[in-house]
Formats: sequence, C-alpha cells, structure tokens
Amino acid sequence: MNFPPQTPGTPVMDRLIARTVRRNVPLSVHFDLTYRCNERCVHCYLDHEDHGELLTSECLEILEQLASSGALFLTLSGGEIFLRKDLEEILSCARRLHFDVSLKTNALLVTRARAERLERLAVRRVQISVYSSDPAVHDAVTKVPGSLVRTLAAIPLLLEQGISVKLACPLMKENLLAYRGVMALAEELGVPYVLDMTITPMMDGSRGPIEHRVSAEALLPVLQDAALPGCRPSAQKEEDLPAMLGSATSSGMESGAYDDLPCSAGHNSCYISPYGDVYACVQLPIPAGNLRHRRFDEIWHGSSTLKKVRAMRESELPICSRCEIRKYCERCPGLAWMEGGDLLGAYERACELAEHKARLAGVARPQSAWHAECRAHRTKNSGAKGRVYDSMEMTKQGQSV
Amino acid sequence: MNSAPNGVWQKNPALAWREIDDETIIISPTESVMHELNDTGSFVWKRIDGRRTAADLAALLAENYDVTREVALADTTALLAELASRKLVVAAAEDAH
Repeated sequence: MNFPPQTPGTPVMDRLIARTVRRNVPLSVHFDLTYRCNERCVHCYLDHEDHGELLTSECLEILEQLASSGALFLTLSGGEIFLRKDLEEILSCARRLHFDVSLKTNALLVTRARAERLERLAVRRVQISVYSSDPAVHDAVTKVPGSLVRTLAAIPLLLEQGISVKLACPLMKENLLAYRGVMALAEELGVPYVLDMTITPMMDGSRGPIEHRVSAEALLPVLQDAALPGCRPSAQKEEDLPAMLGSATSSGMESGAYDDLPCSAGHNSCYISPYGDVYACVQLPIPAGNLRHRRFDEIWHGSSTLKKVRAMRESELPICSRCEIRKYCERCPGLAWMEGGDLLGAYERACELAEHKARLAGVARPQSAWHAECRAHRTKNSGAKGRVYDSMEMTKQGQSV
Repeated sequence: MNSAPNGVWQKNPALAWREIDDETIIISPTESVMHELNDTGSFVWKRIDGRRTAADLAALLAENYDVTREVALADTTALLAELASRKLVVAAAEDAH
C-alpha cells in the first residue's frame, strides 16, 4: 500500500494520463459557467451576451455526472466567473464531490472576504489574466479604466489564503513589448506565469480577434529572449519554472504519455460551455452534444465528433507527419480546424512559427512540409496568382467535420 | 494514539481525490502534491469514514483479499500512520471541534 508523493508532471501524472487516455476517462474538465464579462478585452473570442446559461441546478447535476465519470481536475472559468452569483454554491458542490478546483478570472471582483471563502472551499489555484505591468497598456486591452490596479490588488488577498496564483498573459499587438514587465511582476509576487502567443478566432468562427494577433516575425524577439525557456510545459514542477511560453487555455496536462496523440482533447479532457455544450476543447468548438438533452457519459462515449477527434494520430497526419521541422511545431488540431478548416491539416500560423523556431535553432532554410507543397504547386502552375493560404482561409467559414 | 487498532480516522476534508481504474489519486491543495494509492490502499481509503476503526478497516480488507487478519491489521495501521503523516487523514475526534 505504498504511495510516494508526486508533483504534477512526474511519473504518477504520466501514469494517470496514460490510464485515463487508454480508458477515455475525462480526467480534466474546463467548464465555463458564463460568457458574461466585466471587461471587454480586444482579443476575446467570446460572445458576452447571455444566451441562456445553465441554471444552478443544471450546473450541480453536471458536476455530479462529471465526478461519476472520473473527472478530477476541474477548471471553472468564463467570461468572468465571479459574475455568477451562484459561484460559491457551485464551488461547495465541487468540494463535496472532491474535485481539484482551479479558477480563471480577471480578479476584479475578488475581495478579502471572497478570498477567504475560496480558501474554505479548497480552491487550489487561480489563474489571473494580466496583460502588462503598465496600467495604460493593460487597461487598453481590457477597456476598463483602473482594471490593472484592481486585478493586482486581488493577488495578495489570494496568496494570503494559501491559494496558488498564476498569471496568464496573452501576447498581442497591444502588449507584445509588455511581457518583460509581466515577468518581473510575477517574479516580484513569487508566482508562475504563462505567456500565450495564441490569439484565436471567435468561437463562431468570426475573425475579429485575429486583427490583434502579432505576426510571426514580430514574435521573434520573444522567441529569442534568453530569459524565457521557450518550451512547452514539461516534466517539471510548474511552480519551479521561472517563465513559460504556452497556452493560457491548455488543460495543463501536457505529457510525454500522449505519445502519438496531438493532445489531451477528447481523450482525457474536454470543455463545457455555459449553455451545456460539450466540446473536445475550448479551442476546438465543434459541439459533441448538449448536457440539457443527454447525460455526460452518453456524449463523452457516444459522440461521433469525439470519436473523430480520438482517431487522430500525429503519425498519420496527411501533410504534417512528413514535415522535417515537425519538432519545432506546436500544431493544435483545434486551430487547424478554426484556421484551415481541417482537423488533420496544416495551417499557416503553425508553419510560420515552426520555421522561425527551427531557424533560431540553427536549421538552414527550414521549410514546413505544407509550405514546400504549396511552393511546388505554385511552380507547377506558374502564373497562378495569390497565396494558397489565403484561399484556404476563405473556405474555412461554415465548414463542418 | 490513533494508529492503534482502535484509532478512528477521517479523510482530510480539504483534499481532492478520485478513484480511477482501481487506483486512487489524492491531491492536497495546500502543497499541490499528488499521492497515489494502489488497489488495496484504495480499498481502505474508500472506507475511511470517521466511524470505522483501524481494526474494522483491516477486517474488511481481510474479508476481501487473500491476506490474514494480522497482516491486514499491520498494513492498515501502517497506511493510516503514513496518511496521517501526510495530513491526508485526520483523527476523527480532532476534526470534531
């Protein structure tokens, strides 16, 4: 009956991931309780109107179903999570069901009393969005004057309660040069952080947020910054990492145990919207079913969408599997679908970033398999106008899987 | 001393835990440390309820596994002591106040 203590990213976590992937146990669930928000971040991918959020009783029933399905890691998010007046009731239920609970928030509504209650409800970690240490830059992103001051004021209140805090800083045109300030801020506070270069289209496919995305070339100073490890989350205790490039929306379960799978999505993690829609991932907005009509287990094990996602293998990707710079690429199947219209396909952003990373690593004239194919195609059809990527973007809207 | 056969324990109420595939994963929120119990450890863990003594738990173990009561009791008390040292269980009386 021995049981060595372990930290996330260690062999226990890898074994747990391997077991849950093998048996399709939804180990990690990201549940957005609302899309309403008290900020209006320029890059946000959500529609903040309330189109009929799950009722409290529905949320509690969903938590019961998730617990009985084996879910352990529960991330509650939004929108702004504290706009749900029943949040503490939902957290109480999560506590009773023994979930490991993390929250994502802008922390504008965190007070000392609320932080104390979060501690009593055994919330383990709170991830807070911070776009800059400069109020002018942060507030220009959130569109709420004074928001940085209020957000930063909440952090000590949470830390005082022994709740872990992590800063998440999506990088975009408005704040690209601010990341060093966020790093310094995190170091000063003694908390981990993640710099996220992913700006996605809205969940309905519209591309407004993409206007705020930094070009791959403009990201070069970040990719070359010696202060950043520039790596994926790895087999290392998260809190020990001085800095991180990664995803602010990730399940946090990156591991070598996924082997030939693209990621955890649909295998042992999923996303639930405030309206009860189940998705493999928040970045893969193809609904698998709705919890107002079907039980979680029926959707999780029976959905044809999820079966399609589970069938993906990195080694079988039609183009990317033969890419020579694949190891520099952080291709995401959800972004492949949102940006290129094909779960199995390549997409421009991933190829561009992979080529830049490969170049920085010393690879001479790196070229992704997709770019090589596009160029060969253009040569063969000399006289063709425009870039292949542009036409792919045009075909994306409304495409289903 | 609660690791004695008549000791009564209950799970630390702040923990996150889940039984998955006959093994139990336990996470303490304050340390963010993950603990893993195998099948027999999970059997005992599930039955720690603030009422059963170590001897009760060992008896249940012996009824369900191919193990003598003596070995079951020794293993159960050792497990409970280890769980207590990691603050994963608390003495039932301690938590009452």
